[in-house]
Amino acid sequence: MIQRMTRSINPSRLVVWATLIGLIVLVLLPTFYLISYVFLKWGDVWVEVFENPIIGDENWRQILKVLFFSFRLSLSAVAFDLLFGVPLAYVLARKQFPGKGLLEDLITLPLVIPTSGFGFATLITWTSVAGIGGFLGMNTGVIPLDAVVPIINVPLIVFIVHVALTFPYIVRTLQTKIQSIDTTYETASRTLGANPLTTFRNVLLPLVLPGIFSGAVLAFARSLGETGATLIVAGVSSTASIAIVRWTAEFKLATAAFMGSLLVIIAWALILPVERYMGREKRSFKTSYRLPFSLIKRVMRLERYASEKLTRIKDFAPIFVLVLTVIVPIIVVANSVISYWSADPYTGKVQGGVVYQLFGPANYFNTLVKASLTSIIVALVSTYVSTCIAIPLSFIIARRWYGGFIRSILKVPLIVPTSSLGLSVLLLWGSNGLNLVGSGIWLIILTHIAFSVPVIVESILASYEGSDIQMYEDSARTLGATAYNAIETVSLPLIKGGVLTGFILSFAHSLGETGATYIVMGRDITVPALVVNMVEALAIPAALFTSTYLIVLSMILLTIIRFTTRR
Amino acid sequence: MTKRFGEITALDGVNLSIEDGEYVCVLGPTGAGKTTFLRIVAGLLEPDEGEIYIDGKCVNNLPPEARDTVYMFQQYALFPHMTVWQNVSYGPEIKDWNREKVEQLTAEILEMVRLAERRDAYPHELSGGMQQRVALGRGIASGARILLLDEPLGALDARLRVGLRTQLRQLVKDQGLTAIHVTHDQEEALMIADRVVVLRNGRIEQTGTPHEVYSRPNSIFVASFVGGANFVEGTIIGSSDAGSVMEVLGGLQIKVAVSDVGAGEKAVLAFRREDTWVGEEEVAGSNNLPGVIVSATFIGDSMEYEIRLENGVSIVSKILMSDAFKAYTEGQRVVASFPPEKGHVFPYPVMGLLKEVEAI
Repeated sequence: MIQRMTRSINPSRLVVWATLIGLIVLVLLPTFYLISYVFLKWGDVWVEVFENPIIGDENWRQILKVLFFSFRLSLSAVAFDLLFGVPLAYVLARKQFPGKGLLEDLITLPLVIPTSGFGFATLITWTSVAGIGGFLGMNTGVIPLDAVVPIINVPLIVFIVHVALTFPYIVRTLQTKIQSIDTTYETASRTLGANPLTTFRNVLLPLVLPGIFSGAVLAFARSLGETGATLIVAGVSSTASIAIVRWTAEFKLATAAFMGSLLVIIAWALILPVERYMGREKRSFKTSYRLPFSLIKRVMRLERYASEKLTRIKDFAPIFVLVLTVIVPIIVVANSVISYWSADPYTGKVQGGVVYQLFGPANYFNTLVKASLTSIIVALVSTYVSTCIAIPLSFIIARRWYGGFIRSILKVPLIVPTSSLGLSVLLLWGSNGLNLVGSGIWLIILTHIAFSVPVIVESILASYEGSDIQMYEDSARTLGATAYNAIETVSLPLIKGGVLTGFILSFAHSLGETGATYIVMGRDITVPALVVNMVEALAIPAALFTSTYLIVLSMILLTIIRFTTRR
Repeated sequence: MTKRFGEITALDGVNLSIEDGEYVCVLGPTGAGKTTFLRIVAGLLEPDEGEIYIDGKCVNNLPPEARDTVYMFQQYALFPHMTVWQNVSYGPEIKDWNREKVEQLTAEILEMVRLAERRDAYPHELSGGMQQRVALGRGIASGARILLLDEPLGALDARLRVGLRTQLRQLVKDQGLTAIHVTHDQEEALMIADRVVVLRNGRIEQTGTPHEVYSRPNSIFVASFVGGANFVEGTIIGSSDAGSVMEVLGGLQIKVAVSDVGAGEKAVLAFRREDTWVGEEEVAGSNNLPGVIVSATFIGDSMEYEIRLENGVSIVSKILMSDAFKAYTEGQRVVASFPPEKGHVFPYPVMGLLKEVEAI
């Protein structure tokens, strides 16, 4: 009888408030602060951007220039992704074949791989004699650094990096969407006499169009915000995210903040409508546009022909792209470490070898050890704190009426370009804002928490929605468990896999993050930022070694993820 | 109690009292509010109006775990990360009973539901019937005196379902528990319950023993939902203590049981298919309705004939395959007959006859 009185003590309200405050202060405040900063200091911004006494509106022109460059780059990368990503997603969702798991891992790799290391690997592979060029017996790289993609006028190497890094978003999003659609619709269409391509166009495509759409938006946002790899391959050209890094380094804070809020607003304007759209589950596109019958007939004949001839191409072209953009660079960079180990293989100088650079006068090894320590502390602390916020937050999202709203604003740190995020954290906590935390390891941790919370929450929610937690919890309650007991004994064990996956994913993300970290790190360099510094200092062999080290580390993490999610 | 979900009223003034040790079946079509009712009793939902008393105490403010009830989900909700043993011992464990007692009780209950050998299996390794037994054992082990069963046999295949009905009742009775069993299967309800509560659109339509509900339905809906019936429209032309007389289409006069419907009013006559006999000759003392066999459907233990009466109305007769059984073919002229006391008369429904029967 005494036990029955425990209901009056209600801890959940306290937990809800603590969680929401953590969410607002650590995750959302920086981004909102960035935008309000621009408004509050509009006078400074106006002078610096539009009416600079010396250079006039040169900064504004620069902003426009990099914005258009970024848009051309992101749009074309997404278009390319779609071309190869849609068939690949279809194959992964519908077919079983040996090595499928491996292929899925390879596709996910760019999501976990530290981007600066990956960018460097791509750079070496395509533009240097140490890459494929040397392998083919040329004495230059396969792609000249100044090669440009026609029409969109973007350096080819930048384009390749962006395709590789955005590819997973399209494929994974679409694959999940296709898997959620019952195969009977397609079977029905096939037995009614439609060939595979016609079936795809008429039946599957209208059903998965929302998935394609949201994948494309995610990929676009990712490309718009990509910093780490782009910093390394961009050369003289500049994307919007890189511009923020450069301007911050040049103390052109007002311009950088203005640019940053422009990016945030653009990313928002893109993602929120899609979120709303995706929220309405049953929605499907109306595709019954009326074409002249003769044309439809011709299209269908073409599709039948294509269905017969193109099966193999459809299956293998995307995999070929994947191999070229992801696997080859990784192999090349690993191979280069070996060939550069003791000395530069072309000039024979020991100064050009990995060993000399690591342990020689530059003593990069020491820096690397220190950077590794920083990276690991940052990843551990930020992921731990984020998990502590994310678990109760996931329950709030799943249970409370305002959960959907929280979930959609949680997308903000995910789509905000990382350099904008870094800048906003710097402005909020740093010496120009509240002046509570100076540049350095604590500021890095604060930045990483901002994007780790959404990553973990999404992972937990995925496993939450997969099982009928509410029913199990209700069941536990009627069996005599209190609300708290039910969560502890039933709900938490059931979402354990999601928490673990989220933890590792966020750990990997934190370990590899470059853009935001570069802005806030001060003297506490992390490993990915170190790669950027090494490349800028032209310490190529040291950069090779560090990149390989990062890639191996992330592959280990990916393997752990596979084990935890498999059950 | 009353419960609304937005504009939908799921339960509308339901009032029910249940004796200790009673086995009550709440019967109704999909969407009648059965599950809502059960969830409110369990404390998983809060009623908008009304109170729930258990043992004379109002439990409205008690959380699910503090009520003397255990809710069994249709999908069983066996915890997937726990073994059979852990599932069954969950209730006692969480209530912090002493270890020895928990182990002894769990072992006893596993023995009772005949799953002692599978104690270390996980739920997904068990068949549907076994899972059902684990869920039942887990409910009983929790020590609650009131079992709330939401379609407990609904997820099983037809054969198993029939077999488990009696076992379920036996188990509840042996343990001296009170059970509220929700189902849409009228056969199940009639077979298993001490008392049947017919629910429709959130209201109680009729309460009574299975026999009462079956043989004396108090509405067209109950007559049609429980057991099924023939319906014929007509007008009452006279009543006496011995019975009433009703005139149907075509001027045919039918003797029926006593009814409250006044003379000259429109009414609906309902009589059971299985109370309707088909023969070549009239049966003395019964209502005899001549007609033509339209179709004959064989359903194993019985034969269903659809007969078109001379006034154009179609009725169905269900005849057991006994020694007295005689087969008729389509187009054959026959006489359908039923005894007057088996004919129930209801006032003509405001929304029309079809509306009442279709709601099923």
